[in-house]
Amino acid sequence: MGFELDGKTYETDEDGYLIDIGSWTKEVADYFAIETGLDGLTEKHWQVVNFLRDYYSEYQIAPMVKILIKSITKSELIMGDDVGNKRGASKMLYELFPLGPGIQACKIAGLPKPTGCV
Amino acid sequence: MSERITDIGSPNYKQFLPPVIKKNYGKWKYHETPKPGVLMHVAESGDKIFSVRIASPRLLGIKSIRYFLSVADKFCDGYLRWTTRNNVEFLTEKEENVEPLIEELQANGWPAGGTGNSASNMLHTQGWVHCHTSATDASGVVKAIMDELFEDFANHTLPGKLKLAMACCLNMCGAVHASDIAVLGIHRRPPKVIHELINTICEIPTTIAACPTGAIRQDMRDGKKSMKIVDEQCMFCGACYTACPNMPISDPLNDGLSIWVGGKCSNARSKPKFTKLAIPFLPNNPPRWPEVVDAVKTIVNVYKAHAKKYERVGEMIERIGWPKFFKLTGFQFTKYHIDDYRLATTTYQTSTQLRRS
Amino acid sequence: MSQTPQLDELKKGPWPSFVKEIENEAETKPMAKDLLLQLEQSYKDKITHWKHGGVVGVRGYGAGIIGRYTDSPDKFPGVSHFHTIRVNQPSGLYYTSKGLGEICDIWEKHGSGLTNLHGSTGDMVLLGCRTEDLEPVFEALTQKGWDLGGSGSDLRTPSCCLGMSRCEFACIDTMEITNECTHYYQDEMHRPAFPYKFKIKVSGCPNDCVSSIARSDMSIIGTWRDDIRIDQDQVKVYADGGMDIVEDVAMNCPTKCVSFKDGKLEIDNDNCVHCMHCINVMPKALRIGTDTGAVILLGAKAPIVEGAMMASVLVPFLKMEEPFEELKELIEEVWDIWDENGKNKERIAEFIERMGKGEFVTAIGKETIPEMVNQPRENPYIFYDEFFVEE
Repeated sequence: MGFELDGKTYETDEDGYLIDIGSWTKEVADYFAIETGLDGLTEKHWQVVNFLRDYYSEYQIAPMVKILIKSITKSELIMGDDVGNKRGASKMLYELFPLGPGIQACKIAGLPKPTGCV
Repeated sequence: MSERITDIGSPNYKQFLPPVIKKNYGKWKYHETPKPGVLMHVAESGDKIFSVRIASPRLLGIKSIRYFLSVADKFCDGYLRWTTRNNVEFLTEKEENVEPLIEELQANGWPAGGTGNSASNMLHTQGWVHCHTSATDASGVVKAIMDELFEDFANHTLPGKLKLAMACCLNMCGAVHASDIAVLGIHRRPPKVIHELINTICEIPTTIAACPTGAIRQDMRDGKKSMKIVDEQCMFCGACYTACPNMPISDPLNDGLSIWVGGKCSNARSKPKFTKLAIPFLPNNPPRWPEVVDAVKTIVNVYKAHAKKYERVGEMIERIGWPKFFKLTGFQFTKYHIDDYRLATTTYQTSTQLRRS
Repeated sequence: MSQTPQLDELKKGPWPSFVKEIENEAETKPMAKDLLLQLEQSYKDKITHWKHGGVVGVRGYGAGIIGRYTDSPDKFPGVSHFHTIRVNQPSGLYYTSKGLGEICDIWEKHGSGLTNLHGSTGDMVLLGCRTEDLEPVFEALTQKGWDLGGSGSDLRTPSCCLGMSRCEFACIDTMEITNECTHYYQDEMHRPAFPYKFKIKVSGCPNDCVSSIARSDMSIIGTWRDDIRIDQDQVKVYADGGMDIVEDVAMNCPTKCVSFKDGKLEIDNDNCVHCMHCINVMPKALRIGTDTGAVILLGAKAPIVEGAMMASVLVPFLKMEEPFEELKELIEEVWDIWDENGKNKERIAEFIERMGKGEFVTAIGKETIPEMVNQPRENPYIFYDEFFVEE
């Protein structure tokens, strides 16, 4: 499975995640955003995507959701006046990425697919 | 278009309760088991409710469910429930409905039983029907075992309750670690490592952390990050495969099943206990796993012959001693039976309290 | 000639056959047909034919749906997608023909026709549908008042025994507690944000028919603290009926606090450990006390990673009165500290072991009490943190 973008072919698995995460580009992120039902990526989306990519680059794992939420809680851009409200941050996360951090944000950010049900 | 509904939780249980249960909620006095498969509960008010319990394979198609609902409509004003061990109960206030219920269900292949001191059902996981980490099937093994133990399901023939469980792999998605007799799917070889895909798909630190014995190390292959297994430290649990698709561990030649005994969740008489190893390996022999069925039947026979009234399997073994258990069952006691994980020394026999052999 | 000779073997025998269930649905559902064929293939190959993982969901939820794909879509196109949907069961697993019939209607329209009643955690499992059917199924379910259960690193669907609805042993209203927790903690169930899974199971009495002590991170088990109620007339009925009360009841009491002399049964309630044996054996003569509450235990889990564990006592007696504010406070204290400090995929049991139970209990503002342990420590490696300093 896969898709083509600007003449380049990107292979994906059956859930639509990149098979080679090294091939990610900003254009791929935009493509995934549309493909997963967003209108596009705003500055707020990019703040989350960049946080995910920086974290992965440093630790080779996707951040735990609680860590992602913590970073969003502190973000004035995303939270506005509601900075510091943890529940509010969780709500914002799902407003930005309705399919959730695992299914949508990690896919758009080019991180590995989260594993399993156990 | 109606607004999208979310976060409403389960429907309130009160709407599903038969009127006699609603009326006597929290005011039940005692119960009896007039015959296998039938419970009679009596409330302080004198009201009674009869529950006819039937076997179920847990995997149910809509056709069967609709059949149950039609039976519930005919005899129970539409009320029924499932038990925590996957059986089905038809609920009625009318004693005169009990026999017709049993006959109707029996005639359509749904036998009554599972009450009192019986083998009520065998909890199990998805196995080859749905699971990607399964070392064996679960539904098939359960069917084969319950066919063999059917008389102990349909009658009150056992000294105490017999709770059986099966897990198709070490993830143990059920109470396999605390059942009277449990069957566990196992692997016996380390996973293969698909290096080319690891650093593009797997989280290496997560996979390394998933290993209970620290058998996974970082590695470099063709200039890319990967992982390697220290074979001597691997005990083939498959936790790494759960974390990383590129460490497949299923091996048709070597996968098999192990048998465990003596677990217990209830606090009655003795404290809850874990299951202990009885047989480390039996082959995967679908469709009926005769070796597994034989082993379980052997344990049940020993239990019936030697347990005191009310004793659970684990309690019986503690009373007669593990050496006697292995003697009576004929199971071989091997080096694998002696623990070698974190709390191993707590299981050693550190006394001279040995029966004569 | 049958395409499933091995599975056909499992249609024989007195126990109801799951193969017949799949075959029944396969008459009208290609998904069920291919499941059967793929299962037969697994029986032949002795290996699973499901691919690793599968991440799908519905909008606004990060949990409740398990993605699944066959590794042989060309051979078994009907199971190229075979996701399962966890539907939050009603507490106590009671249904009406109308309510459950609605689920059947929805599933017949969109899915494989196969279910598990129920999954290991307690949810109803709708077994097998395609990605494009997930949103329609979800919408149809919620329209009828049903919702999804948990999965992943969240609060998993709470479950319970049938408690006060039918059982005279029930010390607490297990179904109301479960229903309340489920509705109160919807966010924690549907949007995973914990270090790992957290399971709550509620048993009405120490018989623990829902295996709470072996399977839940927080185990809530009913108990009482006053005297067992004794009906001596009924005791006589049991004795006259042939029951050997000394052998069957008194000798089996773990603390030997039951005595039967001159036709009278007596219980030294100060030494009763509420094991339920005597009540189990003589339900017409003995009843639980009336000052009831719950033991709260923490930390059961299956083997991965640090080994299987049973839950251990955190609170020996908690009064359980609606809306269960004390329980919720306790749950949230436990979550706060675990959420803050837990590692990725670290269960609460492993977290407590890493932190030390004594430290953990102190950190959540509770007093350490002997009821929390079987015995005090044997090893002398004490991390003293109180000491004098020279002036």
